[in-house]
Amino acid sequence: MAQFRLQGSKVLAVDLSGDAVKAKNGAMVAYEGEMSFKKMTGGGDGLRGMVTRRLTGEQMEVMEVKGRGTCYFADRATEINLVTLRGETLYVESSNLLCTDAALRTGTSFTGLRGASQGTGLFTTTVEGSGQAAIMSDGQAVVLRVTPSTPLQVDPGAYIAHTGRLKQHFQSGVNFRTFIGEGSGEAFQIRFEGEGLVYVQPSERNTIGGDV
Amino acid sequence: MPFRLLNSRMVEAKLVPGQRLFSQRGAMLAYKGDVSFTPSVTGGQGGVMGMIGRRVANEATPLMTVEGAGTVMFGHGGHHVHVIELSGETLYVEADRLLAFDGSLQQGTMFMGSQGGVMGMVRGQVTGQGLFTTTLKGHGAVAVMAHGGFIELPIVPGRPVHVDPQAYVAHRGEVRNKLSAALGWREMVGRGSGEAFQLELSGNGTVYVQASEEKL
Amino acid sequence: MNGPVIHDAHTLPVDDNVNPYAFSVDLDGQWFLQKGKMIAYYGQIDFHGIGHGRLDRLIAHSFHSPLHAADWVVAEGRGKMLLADRSFDVNSFDLEDGNLTVRSGNLLAFQPSLSLKQSIVPGFLTLIGTGKFVAASNGPVVFVEPPIRVDPQALVGWADCPSPCHHYDHQYLTGVLGGVRAFTGIGGTSGEEHQFEFVGAGTVLLQSTEQLMAEIATGGVPQQAGVPSATPPNQPSMPRMPGQLGDLQRRFGL
Repeated sequence: MAQFRLQGSKVLAVDLSGDAVKAKNGAMVAYEGEMSFKKMTGGGDGLRGMVTRRLTGEQMEVMEVKGRGTCYFADRATEINLVTLRGETLYVESSNLLCTDAALRTGTSFTGLRGASQGTGLFTTTVEGSGQAAIMSDGQAVVLRVTPSTPLQVDPGAYIAHTGRLKQHFQSGVNFRTFIGEGSGEAFQIRFEGEGLVYVQPSERNTIGGDV
Repeated sequence: MPFRLLNSRMVEAKLVPGQRLFSQRGAMLAYKGDVSFTPSVTGGQGGVMGMIGRRVANEATPLMTVEGAGTVMFGHGGHHVHVIELSGETLYVEADRLLAFDGSLQQGTMFMGSQGGVMGMVRGQVTGQGLFTTTLKGHGAVAVMAHGGFIELPIVPGRPVHVDPQAYVAHRGEVRNKLSAALGWREMVGRGSGEAFQLELSGNGTVYVQASEEKL
Repeated sequence: MNGPVIHDAHTLPVDDNVNPYAFSVDLDGQWFLQKGKMIAYYGQIDFHGIGHGRLDRLIAHSFHSPLHAADWVVAEGRGKMLLADRSFDVNSFDLEDGNLTVRSGNLLAFQPSLSLKQSIVPGFLTLIGTGKFVAASNGPVVFVEPPIRVDPQALVGWADCPSPCHHYDHQYLTGVLGGVRAFTGIGGTSGEEHQFEFVGAGTVLLQSTEQLMAEIATGGVPQQAGVPSATPPNQPSMPRMPGQLGDLQRRFGL
């Protein structure tokens, strides 16, 4: 199985021994050994995946890298976080997905309103199975645990991924007494309830709802 | 000329009279003591021919001479800074990435085409840095910038390293470079013909690769 | 392989950094935040815009300037709150009956026990009193002691020492060669003809240069004799993107 390791915090090294990984197109910065690259359509497998992709607009430019040796990946100097999946599902914004073990299945799922506020579409990428995945964040990500007694509120622009059984819904953080003056700036948040982990980046993409 | 890293993005140099160093213009953050900054077109060495050479080579990154007695801090654009110590060998680096370097190092420009043949010429076009690259040779230290920091990959005989030309920062040692296309790479990238190549480095040395495909 | 550190509502640091880019506030009461810098929180926290009735007294105590209130919010309640700013480095600073002046765009949050005032230097804010505040910088902050001359863009702020003054490299500006250069641009300039000079006792805070935080309005000053007026911020209208090295002016030394 492909071995993922971090070289520093911004470069992912993957050791391959004849097996394959799926990676964001163009994210290869260097390699040693023999590698072959194949463009994939991404966003899930098979015909259904293709239709879903069309519908969702969740475009993932993905390449398959196969070979023997070490391949190095990096993307715009973003920080890389390794996630080890043991049968659970990782929900991640497609733009934050760098590399997945070929054994993992990728697909898309409906995320409701959050995507809309973020301008990244209503659908998000899911990664399922057992193996390693690498996700990117603008600045070192913070992993926050959600338990039934400690729900978590996240700025939509800072959200990058989550795992576990989590219910998410939009909540307005505005205290409406302020409407006379100006907005509080933390206009909308995503509230996560249940049991799971949420990955947050120390940065905010431009959001519509978040009013950065 | 000792460079001391203050943090990942700032480097400090101690100046003593009689020694000088060169830095990219505008890269001084702060200084203590009696220090002067003079623009230098040639980078100080090589005389007129060197200057013409640079003009032709399109490697005329504005440098300044830093002289005096005191301490100077350098940094630029929030880029990560690395210090590379040279003990007699040659460092090949794009001029844009030089933050500061020891004045005693011998500067030159190298026509990459002469090394990699026709492919070497393409390389220059690929990286958009022209066909020439800057060489620094001798004993001393060089502060080099990279977007997001860089990793060092050793090059050993029989085990070449392939690098995305956009992510290539510098290399040192007895290294041959040529452009190659990996299996499937060309059709896959497809964006522009230039991007379909990878830089293959073989021989004995070290290549520095940054964590980004972004040029400086 | 060891996995990432997982934080929860109880293990998040108390008023300390989670990593170099995120700061965790253990809120029990109030904090002032620059708008949009909260990335996540646990617990019961309300965010109030500034300028309505209930918090007026608090604001009157902490804001001693006609600060552009729209840029600030009050976080009120109990819980853990994470602050971050575009993956810049964030640091907290403790003041004990002290004062610190900071570039307005770099200040992220502060405790209400501190009072915030406009600095005489345009574009800077001064915090006075005892308490904690959080500031962002491009790369870790480096602390240096005067006497020192600093590139204007590398300056984050200063503590205790008197305000800086301008320093020009006269050796360069005068003389025939300098004149020729100034007129024709031939030979260029070194780009280092102008610095801020600090003297006296205190501490100067520096960052890696170039990418400045957008200056936020510090409010106007009364038009009256003896009050230096703030010039409108002459920031480039487009924020400089990371990864670009040097603007043309610097490159060509104009």
